[in-house]
Amino acid sequence: MNWRKTGQHPATSIQRLLLSIASAIFILSCQVSEKPLPIFGQREVVGTDTVYHTIAPFAFVDQDSAWVTNNTFKDNIYVADFFFTTCRSICPIMKTQMLRVYKATADMPDVKILSHTIDPEYDTVALLHDFADRLGVKSARWHFVTGVKDSIYKIAQTSYFATAMEDKTEPDGFIHSGAFLLIDKKQRIRGKYDGTKEEEVNKLIVDIQKLREEK
Amino acid sequence: MSRAILILIFFIGLLSSCVSGNSDKPAGSAKYQQYYVQGEVLYKNYCSNCHQADGSGLGRLYPPLNKSDFLTENFASVVCLIKNGVSGELIVNGVMYNQPMKGNPALTELEVAEIATYIYNTWTNQKGMIEVSEVTALLDACGEN
Repeated sequence: MNWRKTGQHPATSIQRLLLSIASAIFILSCQVSEKPLPIFGQREVVGTDTVYHTIAPFAFVDQDSAWVTNNTFKDNIYVADFFFTTCRSICPIMKTQMLRVYKATADMPDVKILSHTIDPEYDTVALLHDFADRLGVKSARWHFVTGVKDSIYKIAQTSYFATAMEDKTEPDGFIHSGAFLLIDKKQRIRGKYDGTKEEEVNKLIVDIQKLREEK
Repeated sequence: MSRAILILIFFIGLLSSCVSGNSDKPAGSAKYQQYYVQGEVLYKNYCSNCHQADGSGLGRLYPPLNKSDFLTENFASVVCLIKNGVSGELIVNGVMYNQPMKGNPALTELEVAEIATYIYNTWTNQKGMIEVSEVTALLDACGEN
C-alpha cells in the first residue's frame, strides 16, 4: 500500500536525502568487516558500562587430577559441553565432533575445551583419564572434569544455559543437551551450537577463529 | 502411518519368504535385501553413534566393525553382545578396548539378525545373510562358552 502511495507522489527532497543517508549507512556497515558474534544472556547497564552475563566461579578436577577453575581459562577462549562416558545416545557423536574441534584448533594454545561429566559418581578422575587417553587426547588443552554433581548441574543450567540433570526414566539415566558453548576471553557466552551436527560444528570452528581475531 | 509400514514390512517378509526358499545365494534374495535395509536402519539407531556410520569406531574407546578381526573371528559372541552388551577388556586388531557396551534387551531375534546381516555385509565385510534361526540358536547359547 505504502509503495503505491510513494509511487503516486514523487519523493520530496527531504525523503531523498534521508534515503541516501540510510543507504550510505547501510553500505558503510557492510564494509565494517563482519558482524561480531552475539553476547548471550542478560545484561545490565551500570553507569556507562554494560555488564554482561558471565560464567560463575567454579572449581572442578580434570583427568590429570588438576584443579580446573575460571582461572584455567584466563585470557583463553574455550568450548564447553556436558556428557558422560557411558552414554550411548548423543555423547559419542558429540565426542566425535569435539574431536574435530580439538584437531582444528591444534595450533591454537589460546583455545581450550572443557567437557563436564554429568555422572560424577561413575566418571571418576581415573576413568576420565582413561577416556581422554582412549579418545586420543594428549594435550592439556582439553579438560575432562568431574566434581560435585549439584555444582555441575547448576553451572550447566545457570551459567551455560545448557540442560543437564538426572532422569531415571531415561534408558541411560540422564537428560542433557548436546550443546557446545563458545566462551570468550571475558567468560561470556558467544555462541551455542548443536554438538551432534557436523554443519553446526563447522560454524563453531569458523566462529572460534573470528573470536580470536576480535580485539 | 507406522501401521502401514508394519503391514508393508509384513507383506515384504511374506513375499521374500517364498523367494528365499529356492535361493542358494541369499545375498541376492529379497529376504536378504529386506534384512539388510532394516539392519541399516537399526544400525543407525543403536550402533552408529559409537561405532560410526562407516564402522571405523572412535579412537581406542569404541572398536571398529570394519576390518575388525574380532568381528570376523567371533561371530557367536558378536550376536550375543548385540543383544546382551559386553564389558571388560576386548582385543580388536591387537588394540585393547575397555568401554562397557550396554545391551539392547528390547531387540527381537529378527532385529538382531537384521543388524548382524547389515554389519557382516557392509564396508569390507562379506559374510552373507544371517538367518533368524542361527541367531535364535546363538542367543540361546550365550554365556555358555
